[in-house]
Formats: sequence, structure tokens, C-alpha cells
Amino acid sequence: MVTQNTASFSSIATLSIIQMRNVSASYDSQNFVLKNVSMNVKRGTNYAIVGASGSGKSTLLKLMNGMMIPSSGVVLYNYQKPDLKNKEYKKSIAKIGYISQTLGLVKNSSVLDNVLIGALPRLNAVKSFLKMFPKDEIDTAHEVLNLVGLDTKSNRKVHMLSGGEKRRVAIARALMQKPDILLADEIVSELDSVTAREVMDVIKDAQRKFKLTAIMIHHDMNLALEYANRVAVIKDGDKVLEIGVDGEQIIDFQTGDLTQEEIMEMYNEPQK
Amino acid sequence: MNPKNNLLIGAIIAVVVVMSYDVGVDPIAFVDGIPNLGIVLKEMTEFESEHWGTAFWAMLETIEMAFVGTIAGVVISLPLSIFAARNISSKYVYVPLRALLAATRTFPSILWAILFVIMVGLGPFAGILAITLYTIGFISKLQYESIEAIDYDPVEATTAIGLSKIQLIRYVIIPESAPHLLSQILYMFDYNVRQTSILGIVGAGGIGFYIINYIKFFEYGKAAVFMLVVLIAVLAIDWISVKIRDRYIMKAQHGQQVKVKTN
Repeated sequence: MVTQNTASFSSIATLSIIQMRNVSASYDSQNFVLKNVSMNVKRGTNYAIVGASGSGKSTLLKLMNGMMIPSSGVVLYNYQKPDLKNKEYKKSIAKIGYISQTLGLVKNSSVLDNVLIGALPRLNAVKSFLKMFPKDEIDTAHEVLNLVGLDTKSNRKVHMLSGGEKRRVAIARALMQKPDILLADEIVSELDSVTAREVMDVIKDAQRKFKLTAIMIHHDMNLALEYANRVAVIKDGDKVLEIGVDGEQIIDFQTGDLTQEEIMEMYNEPQK
Repeated sequence: MNPKNNLLIGAIIAVVVVMSYDVGVDPIAFVDGIPNLGIVLKEMTEFESEHWGTAFWAMLETIEMAFVGTIAGVVISLPLSIFAARNISSKYVYVPLRALLAATRTFPSILWAILFVIMVGLGPFAGILAITLYTIGFISKLQYESIEAIDYDPVEATTAIGLSKIQLIRYVIIPESAPHLLSQILYMFDYNVRQTSILGIVGAGGIGFYIINYIKFFEYGKAAVFMLVVLIAVLAIDWISVKIRDRYIMKAQHGQQVKVKTN
């Protein structure tokens, strides 16, 4: 297991935020999408997960935020088991910012309303029904919108925005959750490389500002190596290796020693 | 065209002929009766202008009834449609509720009006209740269908954030299913005005009361005044709803690219 020293962080930073131990997962209890995967995500890490389509990347994220239960093995978030039916857990997942591949924005609502959805777990039933957000929540919403560069379009309906702008709204909504971890599933794959990098820069800024841990799935190995400080490569439901980009350190689990160039050659698929 | 289609068309024609014979369709009687229509039309042109005022107020009452009934029906429909939607509600709630809603749609509002006249007595209130009930049955169905058709992505995403069911309905389900609602309300109001115009036949208020009574006593000239007022009112409402639709619904669905008419 990785024991790379992250001395610059305080003691809490060395604690794991997500731990996966020998996790297998399946949608039909026959074909396993993930096979015996172990991962240890430390606070403050900027993780990228790379792999071909159907390799089980999205499943990995769904396991992390509790939308899926593993067939075997354990997933721990802040040392507790994810379970959407558990009320206590439901409260704590408000701290997991998750952005799906399809973003999941409410298209007929305004940008601001979409962002405020991130604050709803903190609001009681009556106030949320009457749409009575406290002033500081609305201020926070404008603040995160400013951070992602969309404050001038806060009254625009989401279906009128461009692809890059929609991703910024989804990021703003996730930040509105005041998360300590951000999970993002291939959110820049459909963008051209310039827009994709703009969106990634927004995430990078947010990460610095809020000291976020991030786990992002990428289709493109170049982006992963550019923005992450750890990269895990998944192939056919197995995590085949993990690369620490910071120290150019390559940790190999099953495939033998490979250089970074060889890995990129293996898993870098042609861009859409 | 293939032989199978020909056979089907032939079969439909045969069935129509047999059924027409069964219910006594008689084209000769139709042709013979044309002169009678002439008499009625001639009498109808003899307007009795002192009735315009009465007709106007009766039509206003009709429109008021339709409006109150439509709005009351829509307000009741919204929560019901959420309980009747398969993707939100439990099976034990939506199955009986849907059956109940289907039952309200089974009979035209004029039959419900008879029931309410027995219940609350003659007058517009019975008519309003009938219109409300029919609107509930209809709008609830249209709304739960549009709720069931919403995109599942935002539902999944906001559930992952940890939204409660009420918050989910308020912030995702309603905004996502609302764009069709305005158009449905306009359609329903339009339909209800026409329905309310005939509710007077059973004594449930509105302009139909005058029309049926004048026709019964062969005073076609007077009836014609009232019928003409209904025609004008329905056309006017139709025109207004087209305007509202163009202004709000086109915008909602296509962003700012509202079609500009060139005429």
C-alpha cells in the first residue's frame, strides 16, 4: 500500500477519507463490474481514475457515495459505511459533492436555483418548501457562482447554457454542499480540449480554496496526469496500477514495471 | 397498397354499413329534412335584440363558472398527480388513486352536474362542482404522465446530495414537469367554457339554461342570440389562449428563439 509522506498537511490530512477494501460490485449478481478493488484516498489528495469504457469507473464512484452497495468488501467514508437508507449516513453524505456524467441539473430552473439545491440538506422542510433561503446561503451561492465565473448568468435557465457553462453550474452546486470531497464522473469528456481545461481550472481553484479532496474520472489520460497527483488505472474491473504523479513514483500491482509513457500508450484512447 | 390493407379497409366499411343499418341511419330522411332546417335558420335570423344584454350576462356567468371550476380543479390536481405518479408514489397509493381519477373521467361533466344538482340544488354552484371534478380527472392524468416522463438524471443527482422527498418534489419534479402545465390549463379552460355552456340544460347554471328553454318553445330567434354569444365568446377565448401560448410557452421551450410571425 502507498505510504507516501504528505508532510505538508496537518495530521488530519493523513487520515483516509475513503477506504475501499477488496470491493467487488455487480449489477446483476453474475457479471462483476469491479473485482476485488482496494483503494485508500487520503484527505487533500487529487485523485484521477482512468480506464476504458465499461471498465467500472462510474461504479467505483457510485460505491463511494453510497448510491450502490458492494457485493463484497467494504467501502468506508470517513470511517462509516455508506447506506442511503440510514438517516445518519444521509446527513453526512451532504458533505460528498457528486457530479454525474449527465450532470443531473434541473433544466427548467435558473442557475441560482440549481446551485441552491446544494444547500437544501441544511434547510428545514417548511423553509425549503416556501423557498425561503437564509441570506447567508444566498450570498454563498453568489460567491460560488462568482468562483466558477457564472454570477452574471445566475437568472438564466439552465437549458439555455452551453456545455461548459452547464458543467460550471454542476460544480457550483457541488460546492454549495460545502463538501469535503468532490466526486466527478467524466464531466469534461464531451468538451473540446480548451473548454475542458477551463472547467478543470475552475475545479482546481475551488479545490485550493476549499481544501477539497477530489476524485475525478477521466477519459483522457493526458488530463488525468495534468491535474491529478495520483492516478489509478482500471481495466476490466481490476485496479491494475496506481501512479503518484508528484514524485514520479510508479507503484505497480499486477502488470510489472511500466514507465509512464507505456501506461499512456496502453490506456490513452483517441479523443472524441 | 398491399392486399392486407385492402382487406382491412373492406372490413371496416362492412362494419360501418352493418352498424348504420342497426342504429337506423336513413340518408333519405336527411335529404327530406333539409327544408326544415331552412325554416329554423330563417327564424334564427329574426334576432330579438332586447336579449343581447341577458345573453351577455349569462355568458359572463358561464365563463366565471368555467374559470373557477378550472382553477379549483387544477389546484386539487397538482398534489393528486404527485401521488398518482408511478416514479414517486407507492403502489398502494397510486393504483387506487388512478382508478378513482379514471372514474371521474368516465362520465361527461353534464352527468356529474345532474348529480351535484341533486346534492346542492339548482344553480351555478352545482355546475362549478361538476367542472371541478372533471378538471381534476383530466389535469391529474396529464400531469402524472408528464411527471412520469421527466428526466431521471436530476432526480438521481439530487437524491445523492441528500434531498428529502418534499424537497425533491419542490425543486426537481415540479419545475421539470411544469412547462406543459400552462398549456394544459389553457386547453382545459377552453374545453370547460364549452362544457359549461350546456350545463344549463340540467339546471346547473350558465347560458345553456336559456338556449335549451327557447329551443323547447320553438323561439329560435331568441335562442340564436344566445348561441351567437357563445360562438363569439369561445372564439375570443381561443384567440386569447393562442396569444398566451405564443408568448409564454414558446419561450419556455425554445429559450429566446421565439418564432416571429411574418404576415
